[in-house]
Amino acid sequence: MNTEQVSVLYFAKSAELTGLKAENITVPSNITSLQLWQDLETRHPRLSVLRDQVVLAVRQEYVPLCAQPLSLREGDEVAIIPPLSGG
Amino acid sequence: MAADQGQDLITLTTDKLSADGVSESVTCPSCGAISLFIGTTRDNFEGKKVIRLEYEAYIPMAESELRKICSDIRTKWPSVRHICIQHRLGVVPVTEASVIIGISSPHRSESLEAVKYGIDTLKATVPIWKKEIYESGQPCWKENKECLWADDGTDSKES
Repeated sequence: MNTEQVSVLYFAKSAELTGLKAENITVPSNITSLQLWQDLETRHPRLSVLRDQVVLAVRQEYVPLCAQPLSLREGDEVAIIPPLSGG
Repeated sequence: MAADQGQDLITLTTDKLSADGVSESVTCPSCGAISLFIGTTRDNFEGKKVIRLEYEAYIPMAESELRKICSDIRTKWPSVRHICIQHRLGVVPVTEASVIIGISSPHRSESLEAVKYGIDTLKATVPIWKKEIYESGQPCWKENKECLWADDGTDSKES
């Protein structure tokens, strides 16, 4: 099983809940978006309030939480994206 | 003489925004219309007094999503000439602009429609977040109803 180290970026409410702007984690490269979120919830239980209202951004493309494998590469950025409020 | 190359001018900044600056940046001699949208900070939400907004962004992705919006606009309204989208980050006091979109086109209907599309799509897709700071009570991260993963309860969802 290949694992990769990726950077997780936290924004808005997710940054407040974790107390972090970013952290590095090592995960299997074929982890799904849902599994990755569950990994983060295990590390930061307070994130659970966002579970139904969050998507990820992997290499700056939105990915919903689902059974889709992410095909992560070493050094990829995964951002936690709470509901948007630009404009 | 070659036709003007349409420019996409995208700025994320903590500086105060200028409508004059946006308008000047999209002006061109062959365009008869410039349409502007200015989004400003309101001083109230559900009876609470708002004293300021604080914005943050996933900056590289916000820029790429804004470029996608410009590209979509040019596909839907090919006569659009220049597009300028400026979004302020950090603290935005009440009545000041948080976003300005300016678009020029030869005739008015294209730039008017494109500006509306621009702000509607920005609210749905660009990774920017705002927190409302009230005179009293806890600050609140806002959620745009246009965002597909916001809670689909009432229009004005708070978190």
